[in-house]
Amino acid sequence: MKFIAREDIPRWLERLAQAAAVWTPRRAPDGGETVLFLPWEQGSEPELDRFTDLSAKHLLLPASEKLFPFQYRLGGEGEQIEIGAAPATPESVVLFGARACDARATVVLDALFMQSPEKGYLAPYYRRRRQALAVITLACTRADAACFCSSWEEGTASREGSDVMLFPHEDGYLAEAVTGRGEELIGGEPFSERDAGPPDTAVTDQVPLAGLQEKFTAVFSRLDFWEEVTARCISCGYCTYACPTCHCFNIFDEMRDDRCGERCRSWDACMFYLYTLETSGHNPRPTIAHRYRNRIGHKFSYYPENQGTFLCTGCGRCIRGCPVSLDIRDVLRKVGDAR
Amino acid sequence: MTTTARAGRAAAEPLRPEPATIVEVIEETPNIKSLRVVFDDGELMKSFSFAPGQVGQLGILGVGEATFAISSAPSEKDFLQFSVMKTGVVTTAIHELAAGDKVTLRAPLGNSFPVEEWRGKNVLVVGGGIGMAPLRSLFMHLMDHREDYGDLQLIYGARTPADVCFSSDCSLWSEKRDVDFITTIDAEHPEWGGRVGLVPSVLEEENPSPENNVAVTCGPPVMLKFVFESLEKLGFREDQVYTTLERRMKCGIGLCGRCNVGPRYVCVDGPVFSLAELRRLPDEL
Repeated sequence: MKFIAREDIPRWLERLAQAAAVWTPRRAPDGGETVLFLPWEQGSEPELDRFTDLSAKHLLLPASEKLFPFQYRLGGEGEQIEIGAAPATPESVVLFGARACDARATVVLDALFMQSPEKGYLAPYYRRRRQALAVITLACTRADAACFCSSWEEGTASREGSDVMLFPHEDGYLAEAVTGRGEELIGGEPFSERDAGPPDTAVTDQVPLAGLQEKFTAVFSRLDFWEEVTARCISCGYCTYACPTCHCFNIFDEMRDDRCGERCRSWDACMFYLYTLETSGHNPRPTIAHRYRNRIGHKFSYYPENQGTFLCTGCGRCIRGCPVSLDIRDVLRKVGDAR
Repeated sequence: MTTTARAGRAAAEPLRPEPATIVEVIEETPNIKSLRVVFDDGELMKSFSFAPGQVGQLGILGVGEATFAISSAPSEKDFLQFSVMKTGVVTTAIHELAAGDKVTLRAPLGNSFPVEEWRGKNVLVVGGGIGMAPLRSLFMHLMDHREDYGDLQLIYGARTPADVCFSSDCSLWSEKRDVDFITTIDAEHPEWGGRVGLVPSVLEEENPSPENNVAVTCGPPVMLKFVFESLEKLGFREDQVYTTLERRMKCGIGLCGRCNVGPRYVCVDGPVFSLAELRRLPDEL
């Protein structure tokens, strides 16, 4: 197998950065403990032993982005509107040091965003970014108490969505190309060959997922069940922002002056009251229980029905960051056990 | 589904709207205006087609977009009409527009009434208030293809005489001998010589036969609830009853997430649903 010494990682990153925008786990610039996927810079130290607090989904679905600029212009034929071109997106991006749950999230999102246009779901914005993205995944050799990716086959060593897999080994990493693009990424320097057996990876907590779709349907109309499981939820939306697969968005206009502005898109959250509030005052999901039920339903019933995969990869970020310690695994087990 | 220049451009950039111009504003009621709109791109306007029940995202750059049913008939080729009730931020801004003003449009979006499946059947259309907007498009389409359908009946209810939308269409329709058109208002009014009564009661008085009939209804949620009950009392099965739904929407292309009813998205799987389909979905309207 290919092998790269730990001390050679900066050289490799330097090489990768010649052809692509490279993102690695890094300590947030505020000097605190937070680790995020941030742009690699010359001399910066990737945090390869820490799990990032937020996911890398912004590489495919930016937290906010300009869709197009527009302006009103007075001309010979009266007022005209001009709609400008969409800003360009990077041509080549490498996500370095993703975990299996991050890499799998791209495949889960592809199920919706990369569908054939004939089905009516058009997502050229996502498609451009997806085609530019290569993922170098670091298999986890330990899991924390919130991890539950082993609920899915392969768990921490899943190759889904990865171009290259790195397995910690002695004083460095074994590297395995998963795709053709991955072959290119680990070709040449600073890699050497090393004989090694199949690498060990961690096993996490496992949530029984079989039959969840049907069990959710059965428990849907029991609002008292949802009120009980969400009793302490404050509807802050952290879980949706931290999630690598949550993808709901808002569209809005920002004016720069009274004649020109931009149409923008940003992440939204299904946990917010305003998300579904209609102008008549009617809200189909008026309480936290309704909204959390929809969140669980979307991830474990509706998305599997429509796209054939759960909208979750077991990364555990929604558990680690929840300000009221609401644990999605507890809710899923309760759905599974509901009579 | 139609193939137009818009479809090609929408595939490349579906959230990018087309510039359009208002050619006429019709004051329907104190809080409803119909806007007739044309795409600024003449080729696009020429090739544009849609089916009754489809919707569009009408917008003002700097304010935003909202989803409205297309209330013109597919045969009205010179413009697209949207009938807009003034309720929120976007609709209030739309109400301030006049002929010549610029808007944006993303259309057509969503599915449509299965008018092809209904050939040879009687069609009963039951509308209330602004819910008449998509039904105007449908009813005019059915009349344009009159020979393809059996009896056509339209029951349209408004709260007061001043709330009756599409009044010039109503006088035309009431003169037609090959359709049965009934307008009703909720309570007696000095300026009203016509039918009085809530839509579900008028529907039951009319006592239409479910035999070889489909019923299509749109209106305020409380009216829909009672119309569904009345239709079932009259013997209509769930698969003979259709409605068209509204939800808060942003993208209109099945991605932004908010308009779902269970696993179905109103923007792409709807807005038209049969009552049978609705009853299979989770109860979250």
